[in-house]
Amino acid sequence: MAKVLVVTSGKGGVGKTTSTAAMGAALAQAGQKVVVIDFDVGLRNLDLVMGAERRVVFDLINVVQGVAKLPQALIRDKRLENLCLLPASQTKDKEALTEDGVGRIIEELRGSFDWVLCDSPAGIERGAMLAMRFCDEAVIVTNPEVSSVRDSDRIIGMLDSKTVRAEKGERVEKHVLVARYDPARAARGEMITIDDILEILATPLLGIIPESQDVLRASNVGSPVTINSPASVAARAYADATRRLLGEKVPMMVPHERKGLINLLLGRRAA
Amino acid sequence: MNILRLFSSRSAEPVPAPPPTAPIARERLQILLAHERGSFRGSPDLLMQLREEILAAVSRHVTLDPDKVMVRMERGMHVSTLEVDIELPSGCDAAFTAAVRQPAPA
Amino acid sequence: MDSSVEPTRQLLRLRGRSYVAFVFAPAVPIVGWLEEVDATLARSPNFFVGKPIVLDLSAVDLSQSAIAHLIKSIEQRNIRVLGLEGVDLAHVDASMPPLLSGGRPCMLQPAEPKPPKRETKETSLLLDSPVRSGQSVIFTEGDVTVLGSVGSGAEIVAGGSIHVYGALRGRAMAGVNGNSTARIYCQKIEAELIAIDGYYQTAEELDASLRSKPAQARLDGKIMRVTPLN
Repeated sequence: MAKVLVVTSGKGGVGKTTSTAAMGAALAQAGQKVVVIDFDVGLRNLDLVMGAERRVVFDLINVVQGVAKLPQALIRDKRLENLCLLPASQTKDKEALTEDGVGRIIEELRGSFDWVLCDSPAGIERGAMLAMRFCDEAVIVTNPEVSSVRDSDRIIGMLDSKTVRAEKGERVEKHVLVARYDPARAARGEMITIDDILEILATPLLGIIPESQDVLRASNVGSPVTINSPASVAARAYADATRRLLGEKVPMMVPHERKGLINLLLGRRAA
Repeated sequence: MNILRLFSSRSAEPVPAPPPTAPIARERLQILLAHERGSFRGSPDLLMQLREEILAAVSRHVTLDPDKVMVRMERGMHVSTLEVDIELPSGCDAAFTAAVRQPAPA
Repeated sequence: MDSSVEPTRQLLRLRGRSYVAFVFAPAVPIVGWLEEVDATLARSPNFFVGKPIVLDLSAVDLSQSAIAHLIKSIEQRNIRVLGLEGVDLAHVDASMPPLLSGGRPCMLQPAEPKPPKRETKETSLLLDSPVRSGQSVIFTEGDVTVLGSVGSGAEIVAGGSIHVYGALRGRAMAGVNGNSTARIYCQKIEAELIAIDGYYQTAEELDASLRSKPAQARLDGKIMRVTPLN
């Protein structure tokens, strides 16, 4: 049975698109058939992070409007054959994205894929609402920072009221993914702790992704971090999070500061 | 004793620094924006236009089933590729071959 | 035991209230009209006791001094004038009752009003999941209990008391129907605003030593007293 999963946050810039790409690729690497959909209207991002920006022919709105069929718009990933992308429209306006259209597309995708990942835009307007409307499960990406946590709380409230599932009295399974976690700042007590976040949001933790150069590098070259540098701390954290999505019990690793041996020795000498 | 030298004499090949990715990012953006600016500034994307015209031309000779048309594009800095994949209904081979074999106008 | 810190100033009250007023609409000749008033007073001398009236002057065209004279005549008859209607601002001076607007007609009970029916059933609302930022729970019929936290940016509005088995980070407004005995209880007080019967207190005014601890808030006259629970 296909699962529709929305990657959302409320706040912008927290790592939704990066996480959608990373987890989508990790699911595909695990043998699942995955499609990732960019729900932004007017600002395309997922195609860039996936490295498919030069191959976009048709987009989500083209399919909603009937200008193109779904198979014509889907872009197959060059590295993983069971990973596809449905890009966002760059030029159309919000009104063109209709609930009926999105509903039909998601139904159709359920038939051919194991996972339908919806990359939500920031905010709580139409794009974000439609991205979550038909979801079975949700990953709420949160940064350890006050406004991000509050926005996540708002979004969780909406997942429990504005989705088709919620309206039918069914549960949307929710997970918090803490992204851009900085172990150095955490050690100095300059960041909201993971425990604080979980206590405030009262939602189970899916994973902790550290702030990382590897994510930036992956985005620069147009490859999800789980494909580009699978051994990196960030990629392994995403891989663990993906395994938890698949139902596996994986012990949670809290990223720690990686002090090189030399730095450690030098530090002690100077003191 | 210099601790650093002690370690360096024992260590294996130094781990190579990963290649800088910023130049790759810059190139990708340049290509992408060159195409997007073209379409925003009024002159529609050449590739999209070509696609429309090719499909229109083919459908003059053959009834096209939109489901059987796949269009793929690869935009590059100097060379872009437009791949139009059309599954033609069987039985129209003869007519089509005849059309293709017509010499191009001088 | 009261171990709260008394705020050094009174809390500002925010309430809206509507009253039903009698409207007198004098007609010319004024003398004749006043005689009618006297006749009413002769029949029931206490008719206007405790019932201030609004003077609707739209049917007459009086100068400022004439209006002043009319008001004096009425007050001499022990009738309090609450306000004026249907007259230009130019004809009214500061010593007169205020010019009112926006009045709506309504039915008047000729007899003594019956005592209000008491609700025989206590109603209360139970929420068994946290209240998320942006959500608003309004339940004027009674108490509200939340099994979970109330997020920052959320609000609970209750006719009765509010009980939060979790952290209260948003706004809690209890006793909104005039119930000053309503209270607010929570396991962790970090509220943005608490209010009981219209008297409110913001996060800034909360004593720092109480913050993030289990607490209850109650109204003592016009003063919000927040004390530790247990």
